[in-house]
Amino acid sequence: MPTQQEEFENIAMPHLPALLRVARRLTPEPTSAEDLVQETMLLAWRGFRQFQPGTNARAWLFRILFNAFHAAGLKAHLDAPPSQNSFRPMLQERLEMAEALDALPLEQRTVLLLAAVEGFTCQEIAGILETPIGTVMSRLSRARQELRKSLAPMAKEAYR
Amino acid sequence: MTDDELDQRVRESILAEPIDTARVAAVVRNQIRHRTRIARWALLAIAAGLALAAFFWPRTPSVCVAAAQDHQHEIVQGEPRRWLTDLTAIESLAEKQGVPAAAIPALGTTGYRLERARLCFLKKQIFLHLVYTKDGEQYSVYLRPLTEEASFSDSVRGSEGLAYFQTKRVTAVFVSPTADAQAFARAGARVL
Repeated sequence: MPTQQEEFENIAMPHLPALLRVARRLTPEPTSAEDLVQETMLLAWRGFRQFQPGTNARAWLFRILFNAFHAAGLKAHLDAPPSQNSFRPMLQERLEMAEALDALPLEQRTVLLLAAVEGFTCQEIAGILETPIGTVMSRLSRARQELRKSLAPMAKEAYR
Repeated sequence: MTDDELDQRVRESILAEPIDTARVAAVVRNQIRHRTRIARWALLAIAAGLALAAFFWPRTPSVCVAAAQDHQHEIVQGEPRRWLTDLTAIESLAEKQGVPAAAIPALGTTGYRLERARLCFLKKQIFLHLVYTKDGEQYSVYLRPLTEEASFSDSVRGSEGLAYFQTKRVTAVFVSPTADAQAFARAGARVL
């Protein structure tokens, strides 16, 4: 029979990259993102007995991540977009996308990342963020609209 | 650009960023190992504490167990014995035994009255056995002058149906299988 540590290793640890990817888009510094994910995983470990095997571990972990994010007061720092120092040299297109994403308000950016990158449904996102599904849908719609607006001039520039 | 196409571009862009989880994973694993070790030590400490508590926990004195058995035989099963029923005679017997006679009527708590008394042996020690009654219910009080070897607590102790304590003057055991022996004992402690 696997120990609790082994179960945690199998169930929770594989989601570390996804958590870190999203955390890096939420926090102003790369080290803050790592700290946030570390805190998330330790909170998950502490509450692992309550986790029901077979349920959505990824959604459970993201819910913990966002709770930790709010509890840590990191949201207060988010007037400034994530530091560009966190990104390795990247292609022009990716850089533009990163800039456009970072320019989105936090709520819109969060919903878009969870939907487009992590593949959560609006229902699941509503559960993770503890927000009504209608709010999630409207934030997602606005996020896509804003992103299109930001990317359009860049695309025109590219064709000149 | 459709929603799906836009999402696809976002996804490709984000997933192309290199993610290094090695440091975080190492810290998390290390912390979990550390916390597991602490939890194991805490469990061991609790288990050791419980074992010690169980070892040193005050057990019911054997004289109290004997009193409970005596009550069962003499009162519940009604084995024939010679009893004194006259209050004056009972008080006189109490005085001879060194038990404060004036407290005897007062030992009956609300509604209970002294019914009978006799001397008995509990663990080779003489006790004055008093029986109080109300509406067919009875409880017993066993009294003995305090001696050097008495080691009861001066606060009321006991379990369901059995309570005991000692004062500067007496050792007292209360047995009441049908009512609250500790309540009787607490009332008794005020007059003995």
